[in-house]
Amino acid sequence: MPDRGPDMDAKTLAVLTAAADQPPDVSTDRLLARLSRNRDLVLFIIAALIFLFFSLTTSTFLREFNLLNILRNTSLITIVAVGMTFVLIAGEIDLSVGSAYGVLTVLMGMLVVAVGLSPWLAMPIVILAGAAVGLFNGLFIVGFGIPSFIVTLAMLAGFRSLALIISGERPFTPRGTDVFYDLTGGNMLLPLGEDRVLHVPWLIIWMIPVVVIGGIVLAYTRFGYHVYATGGNREAARDTGINVARVRLSVFVLTSALCGLAAALVFGYLHAAAPTTGVGFEFRVIGAVVVGGTALTGGRGSILGTLLGAVIIGMITGGMVLFGYSQNVGDMATGLLIMVVGSLDLGLRRHLRSRAW
Amino acid sequence: MAEQPFVECRGVSKAFGNVSALHEVDVDLYRGQVLAIVGDNGAGKSTLMKILSGVHQPDRGTIKIAGEPIRIADPHQARELGIATVFQNLALVDQRDVAANLFLGREPVRAGIFVNRKAMREGARRVFADLRVHMPSLAAEVGQLSGGQRQSIAIGRATAQQGRIIIMDEPTAALGVQESQKVLDLVMRLKAAGTGVVIVSHNLRHVFSVADRIMVLRRGRRVGERLHAETTPDDIVKLIVGAGRE
Ligand SMILES: Nc1ncnc2c1ncn2[C@@H]1O[C@H](COP(=O)(O)OP(=O)(O)OP(=O)(O)O)[C@@H](O)[C@H]1O
Ligand SMILES: [Mg+2]
Repeated sequence: MPDRGPDMDAKTLAVLTAAADQPPDVSTDRLLARLSRNRDLVLFIIAALIFLFFSLTTSTFLREFNLLNILRNTSLITIVAVGMTFVLIAGEIDLSVGSAYGVLTVLMGMLVVAVGLSPWLAMPIVILAGAAVGLFNGLFIVGFGIPSFIVTLAMLAGFRSLALIISGERPFTPRGTDVFYDLTGGNMLLPLGEDRVLHVPWLIIWMIPVVVIGGIVLAYTRFGYHVYATGGNREAARDTGINVARVRLSVFVLTSALCGLAAALVFGYLHAAAPTTGVGFEFRVIGAVVVGGTALTGGRGSILGTLLGAVIIGMITGGMVLFGYSQNVGDMATGLLIMVVGSLDLGLRRHLRSRAW
Repeated sequence: MAEQPFVECRGVSKAFGNVSALHEVDVDLYRGQVLAIVGDNGAGKSTLMKILSGVHQPDRGTIKIAGEPIRIADPHQARELGIATVFQNLALVDQRDVAANLFLGREPVRAGIFVNRKAMREGARRVFADLRVHMPSLAAEVGQLSGGQRQSIAIGRATAQQGRIIIMDEPTAALGVQESQKVLDLVMRLKAAGTGVVIVSHNLRHVFSVADRIMVLRRGRRVGERLHAETTPDDIVKLIVGAGRE
């Protein structure tokens, strides 16, 4: 126990004033503790190393996989991963995102192709439908108290079947042109088409506000604070007056609504809505979030981490393709990465905890 | 003591499933007075505290505050009514830092939604200076702190609300001798400042050093209430275990 002399108050104040400053002592533990706290920095370094590795070992990486291309290839994953970050931090999981994304893409295709709506009108409808999907998930999870793992696992199968049934297992392909396809990068598929503006792919332009707003909401708003509290210690959150049910419901609604946005964008980008859209998507989304340092146990994580996680996964998957491997090998590498990140994280935290007392 | 009680509970009952946690309990809280609540494990002490803090709703019974019948719908309302609580489990989020925990559920905001970190840090410094508690860093994760430091955050959270009644559910449970004494001193300071304090404790020495009145719960029932001057630890122990009277 520290000295509790009469000058205690002055000392306390001095210490408290210097609160945020790090002590100068840089032992290994302190370094590890700092790394554990500044996970986003660590991720950034890892991402840079992977980038360097592929740049040096393949001749085409720099040309094919500049940062913009990597970001474009993972932009739809990143959009949904922003919502998934909220879900995991709140101590929940949403395994249904791949199928929700699939069924919403089919809905987008039907609205535009079968009903004949303008894609601009179809997009907000699909986003709202996504929110309804999240509300539906949330009703079972929050309303009936069924664990989110169970509910969303069931919906992973349910929404996929729905997508296949309502589409008749056939893709919808829009005819004609619309600015919508230009602004989602879809005209890359047309002769002389281009999927970017001023070198930046359109999908990235859609992704940026989602990441920025998501990051601000999570880190700086009261709602974000309540998401962390709910996932970190639900009872404490409830006892201090946080509306835990509303927080839990919101994160599912947010994530599914973002699935709706991704669905509208992929329809524009590919000029098609296939009922198989998003098979395996949940794995890549959750993978990006977890590699990005968000804890499956809740209460920890960041949007910047998720963005870096998506970039890392994007580089590995893309790099594997350059080495001549398929997407499957890329997924395997991602799985391996999740294992490595997960165990490093756990090991580090155990080590620090054993030193803390 | 002839004044009106600030909080008046009559016939409060609460069951969880078929466990009757509280049965027809009456309790009065006065400002500037310390009420100790004692009783064995599972006697219903925390349940009563959680009803007063708006976490649980009573199944039956009435609560009056300053003479007005009232329903304490949730913890926000309890705070607005002037009731602050140190929960038995401390209600801390281990992954979050000291400042975030100190303002958990009532984060100060700018522009209606953005958490005001600066206000939180300043508030936190003031609270810990008032409590004469040393907190190594406001940015430290609460899970990494010692038991006493964690307890200080929970207590600081309640004192920062400047409630007219402070409920402390076993505030000294995790503390050593010196740290416990600091909490008991704080209770006396709060009392002197006119705050009503409810303290739940299993430590009768602590209870007798601060309480004006001592209320005993056994299996959800109020089995007795004594003025400090008119009772002894032996008397209280008998009430707790249920020997003799009834
Ligand atoms: N949320 C709950 N759900 C179900 N049962 C509960 C709940 N809270 C309390 N109980 C039950 O109510 C009874 C009283 O519990 P309470 O926590 O009020 O006791 P206590 O007097 O605070 O005990 P301790 O000294 O161990 O803290 C116990 O039988 C307990 O199991
Ligand atoms: Mg208790």
